[in-house]
Amino acid sequence: MKYTDYNIEDFLADEFFIQWVKHPNDNNRHFWEKWLEQHPEKRRVVMQAVSIISSVRYQDRNAIGDKLYVDIFENILKADRDTNHPLPTKRDWVFSFHWRGIAATFLLCCCIGLLYQGFLSQTKADISLDVKPVLVSKNIPAGRKSLVTLPDGTKIYLNAGSEISYAPIFSDSVRLVQLKGEAFFEVEQEARPFIVEIDQTRVRVLGTSFNVNQKNNGELMVALVSGKVSINDQQGNRIELQPSEMMVRDRDGHILKTTFDPIEVIGWKDKILTFKKMSLPQVKEKIENWFGVEVQLEGRIDPDWSYSGIYKDETLENVLKGIFLTSGLKYRIEDKNVIITNPN
Amino acid sequence: MMPTPEIAKNSNVLPLKHSESFKEYENKSDQDIWRAFNKGSEAAFNYIYRSYAAVLYQYGTQFTKDEHILQECIQNIFISLRRKRGTLAEVSSIKAYLFKILQREVIRYINREKNTVYSSRMLHDHFFPVEVSHETKLIQDEYDTEKKKMIEKAINQLPVRQRQAILLLYEEGLSYKEIAEVMELSEVRSVRKIIYRALASLKASIRIK
Repeated sequence: MKYTDYNIEDFLADEFFIQWVKHPNDNNRHFWEKWLEQHPEKRRVVMQAVSIISSVRYQDRNAIGDKLYVDIFENILKADRDTNHPLPTKRDWVFSFHWRGIAATFLLCCCIGLLYQGFLSQTKADISLDVKPVLVSKNIPAGRKSLVTLPDGTKIYLNAGSEISYAPIFSDSVRLVQLKGEAFFEVEQEARPFIVEIDQTRVRVLGTSFNVNQKNNGELMVALVSGKVSINDQQGNRIELQPSEMMVRDRDGHILKTTFDPIEVIGWKDKILTFKKMSLPQVKEKIENWFGVEVQLEGRIDPDWSYSGIYKDETLENVLKGIFLTSGLKYRIEDKNVIITNPN
Repeated sequence: MMPTPEIAKNSNVLPLKHSESFKEYENKSDQDIWRAFNKGSEAAFNYIYRSYAAVLYQYGTQFTKDEHILQECIQNIFISLRRKRGTLAEVSSIKAYLFKILQREVIRYINREKNTVYSSRMLHDHFFPVEVSHETKLIQDEYDTEKKKMIEKAINQLPVRQRQAILLLYEEGLSYKEIAEVMELSEVRSVRKIIYRALASLKASIRIK
C-alpha cells in the first residue's frame, strides 16, 4: 500500500512513521517533511497520528530516585566481591561507606562554607546597621528555570532570562525583592509586607501567590492567583487586584485590568509552554528564551501567520515538529542554533 | 540567619553521569557495547547501567510499585549478567533484552510472594494501564482534549497484551522486532497482528470525523 492511501490506523502501525515521531533523524525527517510538502491534504491525518503516538504514556509513572539509583549500582558491584552471598537483600553499611564517605565529606565542606558565609554576613549586619547590606542576586540564563526559597519561606519560581535580588536578611518592617524579567511568587503570610520592586513600580502584598512579568518591550504584567496585591507606580497610580485579575501596563504607562488564562500566564512554572495566536517573531523569542537557543528565520514571512499550541515538558525537536505539522514551516537544529524556513 | 541555598529545579543530573564512558560508547552499536561488557569492560557496564537503570525501573513499575521488589529485581539481573561475563550470548537490542529478563524476574518474584502463576505471555489484567496525555496540544483545541480522553478510555479496555505492545511501541519507541523479544514471541509478524488488532478495536475513537 502507498502512503497516499494510508488512513490513520495505517500511519499508527507504520514503523518508519513511528520512528520519525519517536527517534527523529536527518533521514526520516527529510523523508516525511518532503512527503507532506507534496501531499498537504494529508497533513491533518498525519498531525492526528503524531499527536496520538506522542501522547500515549504509562499511567503509572514512578521515577527511580537518585539514592536508589546509586544503591542499586553499589549493591551490584558489591555482589562481585562476595560470591558466597549470591543476591544480597539488606544493604551493607560498612562496605558502602566508600561512596557515602565522599558525599559526607563534600556535604560537610559545604556546611562549613555556608556557616562561615552566614557568620560573616551576620557580623556585618550587626556592626554596620546603617550600611546597605550586600544583596543576594540570582541570575537565570535563557533555557533554564529555577526555584528560590527565601529566608521567610517564600517561594519564587524564576523564569528563563530573569534576575532577582534581595537582602540576605530582611529588615524588621518589610520584605523587599527586586525583579527583572518574570517570576511567580508564593508569599509566606506574616506581619511584614512583601514588596516586589520592578524598576520604579512596587507590588505590595501580605500572603498570596501571583505572577510578575516585565517584558523586553517595557510592558509589565501582574497576575494574581490568590490573596490580594496592590501596585504603586512612579506616576503615583495605585491599582488593587482581586484573585484571577491581571494588570497590564504598556510601555507608555497605559493601564488595563483584565482576567487571564492561568495556563497561558503561569503554566511556565509547571514546564508548560504555550503559544496563543503568536506571530512568528513572538514564537521565535519564546523558543529562544525557553530552550536557550538562537533562532534564525529564513524565507518569506507571512505577516498574518499565527500559531497556537500547548506543550508540557516537551523537547525542542517535538515543539518544532508540532509547529511544522500545523504550519508547514521547516526547521533544522544545529547544536544551539535553530533555523526555521518558510519553503513557500 | 543565612541565605538559603538555591534549589536547582532542573537538576536531572544523576550521580555517575559524569564519567568518560558515555562519550566512548554513545555512538557504538548495541552488539559492540554488549561484546565489550561480555569481555569484562567496566566502562561498558557503567554505560549500560546509566543508560537503562531509569527506563528499567519505570518498566518494572508496570508490574509492581513496590520499590523494594524493583530494587532487588534490577540488582539480581545485573548481578547475574556480571557473573556470566565471558559466556554471554550476542544481543542485538540491549534495551529489549534487559526488559525481557527484568520482566521475567519481576513476574517470578510476584508469583513467589503471592502464589500466582503469571508469565510473560499471561499477564494480570491490571498491568500496563495507559494514559493519553492531553496536556500537549499541537494546536490549541478543546476538541483535542475530548478526543484524547475517549482514546484513553478505549485503549484501557483493550486486552493487557495489546496495551503492553502499544506502550512498547509508542512510549518506549521499540521496533516490532524488539517488541517480539520483550513479549517473547518468536515471530515479528505476531506483534504486527497484535497492533493491528488493537488499532482495529480503536478505529471508532481514532478516526477523524
